[in-house]
Amino acid sequence: MIVANYLVAAAVFCLGLLAIMLHRDLIKVVLGLSLMEASGYLMLVSMSYRRHATAPVLVNPPSGQSEQSLVNGNVTDPVLQNFCLTAIVIGVAVTGVFLAIAVRAAQHYRSVDAANLTELHG
Amino acid sequence: MTLAGSLPLAVAAPLLGGALSPLVARLHRRLALVVGLLSMAASGLVLGLAASRVYRGHPLVHYLSGQGPSHGQVLGITFVADPLGISFALLTVLIGFFLFSALLSEFGEIGEKELGGLAALCQLLLAALIAAALTADTINLFVWFEVAALASYGLTGFFLERPIALEAAFKMAVLTSMAGFAVFLGAAMLYADRGALNFGQLHASLAGPLPRPVLVGFALLIAGFATKAGLAPFHGWLPDAHTPVPGAVSALFSALMVNLGVIGLVRCGVQVFPSGHRMLGLLTAFGLVSALLGALLALVQDDLKRLLAWDTVSQMGLLMLGFASATAEGTAGAVLHLVNHALFKALLFLCAGAVVHATGMTSLSQLGGILQRRPLVAIAFTVGVLSISGVPGFNGYVSLDLLHAGLEHEQPVLWAARLAQVITVAALFRAAWLGFLRRRREPYEHLAAPRSGMRLSLIGLGVLCVSFGVFGYSIIRVVAGPAAATVLHPERYAALALGRGGGLPVVPVEFSYFGAKEVVPALVELALGLLLCLAVVRYGEPAPIRPLRRLHTGSVNDYAMFATVGVLVCAVTLLA
Repeated sequence: MIVANYLVAAAVFCLGLLAIMLHRDLIKVVLGLSLMEASGYLMLVSMSYRRHATAPVLVNPPSGQSEQSLVNGNVTDPVLQNFCLTAIVIGVAVTGVFLAIAVRAAQHYRSVDAANLTELHG
Repeated sequence: MTLAGSLPLAVAAPLLGGALSPLVARLHRRLALVVGLLSMAASGLVLGLAASRVYRGHPLVHYLSGQGPSHGQVLGITFVADPLGISFALLTVLIGFFLFSALLSEFGEIGEKELGGLAALCQLLLAALIAAALTADTINLFVWFEVAALASYGLTGFFLERPIALEAAFKMAVLTSMAGFAVFLGAAMLYADRGALNFGQLHASLAGPLPRPVLVGFALLIAGFATKAGLAPFHGWLPDAHTPVPGAVSALFSALMVNLGVIGLVRCGVQVFPSGHRMLGLLTAFGLVSALLGALLALVQDDLKRLLAWDTVSQMGLLMLGFASATAEGTAGAVLHLVNHALFKALLFLCAGAVVHATGMTSLSQLGGILQRRPLVAIAFTVGVLSISGVPGFNGYVSLDLLHAGLEHEQPVLWAARLAQVITVAALFRAAWLGFLRRRREPYEHLAAPRSGMRLSLIGLGVLCVSFGVFGYSIIRVVAGPAAATVLHPERYAALALGRGGGLPVVPVEFSYFGAKEVVPALVELALGLLLCLAVVRYGEPAPIRPLRRLHTGSVNDYAMFATVGVLVCAVTLLA
């Protein structure tokens, strides 16, 4: 199950990277970056799955209780889930900035072709 | 509140200032920048007090909200004021102060909304840099990386009258977001495998053979920070981002922001990653390529700011060579050069900004005659050029000599670094001659008067460039030596980050100001550089550089492809 997650994450990541490298359409480049980020989220939640282990917040269990009595079975690492939430928030902000730039570029050049954006070179 | 406990205030002050600036701009627009000056002063006070302890061998450690280590594990945010971090933080505050002073005089006239936004973005970026210098865990470093990135997108696209600002902002945003993603994924992979975020805990967990996910994680971290540092082949965004923005913002990017990447590379690649691996070779390779590529392309640029930006790529490469040399001289030289580069590059970009502001031109072929018309700006630019060229008496001389001395055990690298220095001298003297010193018969159509804030910044930075050269020896002893010691003794830094106090080791750094081994090579490089400069001015662009220029097509897709190749190089080198 987890292996499938990693495979899908890798596939989505490659798709995003290809879009960034091959598409001249600014919106598609932004979509490619979003795909890359989405693959990161999937990878993070998959990595947080811990079989027969304890979450790191349980390093110091309350007195009278052991780690095993607090956790029955498999756990998910809450730290990585937190990262995932952070990444989603940052991803949204960055996508917003990207789209703002793309809109301004579209207003100015009347197209979203990245070939217009090569005045600075060499 | 203890001194260590007040470290977060150094970050909070500019963050608060950033929130206040747009509000007070409604009262009076210049107040927005005055708030910036005040927040830098407040932050500088805290950091200065901390530095007086740190430089005397008592580094400070603070765990935010008291989440200290338990059984050698820390998940909370850790701030460590070690000599390297505090030096960069103090440098940020110092240069930030001069930049606000320059902005105040150059942009005091634009609208209140714009000025408020500009001041807020600058303070946000400065806060992120100070925090990144002090932080000692991977995820917190990523957060400040992203804060700096978002602020820099805003600053690049701020002056949209020039459509190239849009273009630069888009390229920068694509490459920096890819870098941010790499840093984030790398940090998460390291955490998933080692259960550690704190640099000290991570370093301790890396003893013994390393599994693949850990190596891939490090490859991603290195690629991400190398993008921020503008190292080749991740450098596509850097020259573009510096071209359309005002001089003070270019100075902020080149003098300070790229150093965030260098700090990240040093922390992750040298201090956390166990030595004796291929990491130092990888950093040396990136450093070499950047040093030569940046210098060569700087040699042929026509746009003054773009020339200086390409030189930043070259200088960052040189810094990496020093840090990756793993010698006391090389590391101390790199730390000192990081500080010196920030000083002279800020000075050069402010001069370029002053010229663009006064004449409205950026092209070297059209400029000229600034010495007669604006002597202060021309002299300040020349001081910057002399510093960067390693002329004895100016600051670059000391740090370049130390850096070169540290590379002596690897002769090919040393000769490449010397070659890069010769080309750098030629590139910068060409800029000084064409843009500032040569005569220009026809008068400028429009020549704005210089302002006092700009004068203050130029004189201040120029004096600092000279005094860091004159007092080079004391600065090595007080600042660069201890900072090099923390880099060369990662186990001490790791112990600090885990709160196991203790002093810092002392690493002796050999340097003699007037030794023949120091002075002669510097003068030979200078002479060769001047000859090359004459040849380029006389005969135009050298043919071998043309393919390199054609390689930089300006297309965001191509630059993303270069960066992807760079990531693969990192991964393959570390995994092989």
